Amino acid sequence: MRRGGIVVDRVWKRFRADRRRTLLRDELERLMARLHDEQRGWTWALRDVSFTAEPGDSIGIVGRNGSGKTTLLRLLAGVMYPYAGRVELYGKLGTLINMSAGLHPDLTGQENIYIQGSLIGLKRKEIARRFDEIVAFAELENAIRRQVKFYSSGMMLRLGFSTAAFLDPDVLLVDEVLAAGDAAFQQKCLDRTRDKILSGTTLVFVSHDLQSVEGMCRKGIWLRDGVIEAAGSVREAVGEYRDWVEKLEIGYRERLRRDGTARIVKMQVTGPEGNGSRSGELLEIRAVVESPESTEGALYMGVSEGPSRPIFVLQHDISLRHGETEARCVIPHLPLPRGRFYVWVGFFGKSGQEYLPWQPATEFDVSGPDLHPTPQGIVRLAPVQVPTAWEVGPP
Amino acid sequence: MRVSSSIPDAPPAELRFRRRISVVESARELWRAREFVRALFERQLRARYKQAFLGFAWAIIPPLIFMVVLTTFVQHAVNIPTGGIPYPLFSYVALVPWTFFSSAVSGGANSIVTSLDVMNKMYVPREVFPISTVLSTGVDALISLLGLGILFGVYSFAPKPTSVWVPLLFLIQLALTLGIVFIMSSLVVYFRDLRYAMSVILQLGLFATPILYGIDRVPQSLRLVYSLINPLAPVIDGYRRVVILGQDPAWGLLLPSAVVSFAVLVLGFRLFKRLETGFSDIA
Repeated sequence: MRRGGIVVDRVWKRFRADRRRTLLRDELERLMARLHDEQRGWTWALRDVSFTAEPGDSIGIVGRNGSGKTTLLRLLAGVMYPYAGRVELYGKLGTLINMSAGLHPDLTGQENIYIQGSLIGLKRKEIARRFDEIVAFAELENAIRRQVKFYSSGMMLRLGFSTAAFLDPDVLLVDEVLAAGDAAFQQKCLDRTRDKILSGTTLVFVSHDLQSVEGMCRKGIWLRDGVIEAAGSVREAVGEYRDWVEKLEIGYRERLRRDGTARIVKMQVTGPEGNGSRSGELLEIRAVVESPESTEGALYMGVSEGPSRPIFVLQHDISLRHGETEARCVIPHLPLPRGRFYVWVGFFGKSGQEYLPWQPATEFDVSGPDLHPTPQGIVRLAPVQVPTAWEVGPP
Repeated sequence: MRVSSSIPDAPPAELRFRRRISVVESARELWRAREFVRALFERQLRARYKQAFLGFAWAIIPPLIFMVVLTTFVQHAVNIPTGGIPYPLFSYVALVPWTFFSSAVSGGANSIVTSLDVMNKMYVPREVFPISTVLSTGVDALISLLGLGILFGVYSFAPKPTSVWVPLLFLIQLALTLGIVFIMSSLVVYFRDLRYAMSVILQLGLFATPILYGIDRVPQSLRLVYSLINPLAPVIDGYRRVVILGQDPAWGLLLPSAVVSFAVLVLGFRLFKRLETGFSDIA
């Protein structure tokens, strides 16, 4: 296998299921238990996990908390060993895992850069040569001679990422580490990571941000309770994961529903001529709201992808009558791609009184084309379908 | 591609991961990580003295104070024969290597536990952590040698020519220290309460080693057994003999102690490599 390749072959990993306390007394208890039954007291973190990566591949790993993503990454990083199976990784490794770990609070930023740099295998001279670049990237020019214990958490993250980002690995492992930085720095980190992919580095990316995963990676793996549930192109794997999560979220939406003085009687979403909704065509949302009194206020309608990712919100001033009121909203050209979406509704008085709390009301499916493909590594793409007309020719 | 239904409850036995540990390969890895050992070593020194008002003086103060206490109380309470050597000199020459040993062992034993977060980040051979701790403790020992220099001045005493044996004695001591540090640092990961047991044992060791007294206080017939149980004893006694008394080391005791020390080093390293596979699982 060439530099940058990864082979993970039928890997199993287990951890203690008990309190994990490690005092002599606990270990003696475990020893006694082990005499009776070898497998008891352990849980599997990974079961029979296999995949391979060619140099230059980018693989996104998704799954819920505790599904084994970080364990898999640690096995790849070589800091943990599998219980069974084989993990092989060729070439120089770079990791962006747990980045503020290992910074020594009593030392200055500068001293920490040298320690971190030597940890990832850089020579003292190489670090000195890149020192200014690293400091500039971390935006820590004024703080680099200050002790790290006086840094904010964002500054520590920047220091950690910048040091790690300035070596040229063949394989780059990225855990969900960027979440702590501010938006501008996150974007900078993602840009840097994308540059690495484009220059041929193999990327393994673990994140809960499915958009980043889809933007950054070509292949995807969905881990569920330590088992590969789906693997393939990033759209397939992440898509299957998303469908599964949405099924789980139905119960969650029910719990979100709250009572106000007004309530929704009926909610209907229809496409052209009463058919299903299609991208770029007419969409009508009908809401029937029942109110015990007549009130003036603002009706809000929102659309989200999944329950947690809002796309747009519409607002209209209306007056509710005593009894039922029907509000119809027509969107002439629906700007949504293929997929499942949720409609949220709320009604608030002039001074903010909550007559109908903001809540998911119904869901609808849109048929039509997928989003246009994006150049690899462009992230944070909103699921919005924009109608276009193209003309190409001499100016 | 769905595979979850066909997965057995446990992996087939032939799939079990076995880690092959070769000493040559370990040594090569350690050499490749030398830059990191150096950085860790520097970090420990800086972190230790950066905040301290008296800075490097802290390396010399503890054995010095201890020596004063010993001289004032122990020497007057129990009359210890020193062969005509001033007691401060007699005890300090043994206190320096003992302080090195005991702080290397207590610091080294914690070296893995306190570095688990660094270890979970990137692969480095795990032995760099205990090794760099022992090295940085060694710097303290070097500094505390200044105190010995002062004592030499005060008593207008010059080290004897037999001091040429000091490097050999130090090599034996280093082997034993590293061996014990390998054993303790890996065991402490699994049994955290060993740390407390260890500080008690080290306190006992102060009295079980010829520091306050000469090895000649131990009955002749028991000395060999004593040296095998406490291989540090002939070494500490050796320092005193060669530097102050102008005698050769007691070879009959030192050689068995050297054999035990190197055996501890080899066994300690093997145990360490054996146990390190699970370090990250515990963290």
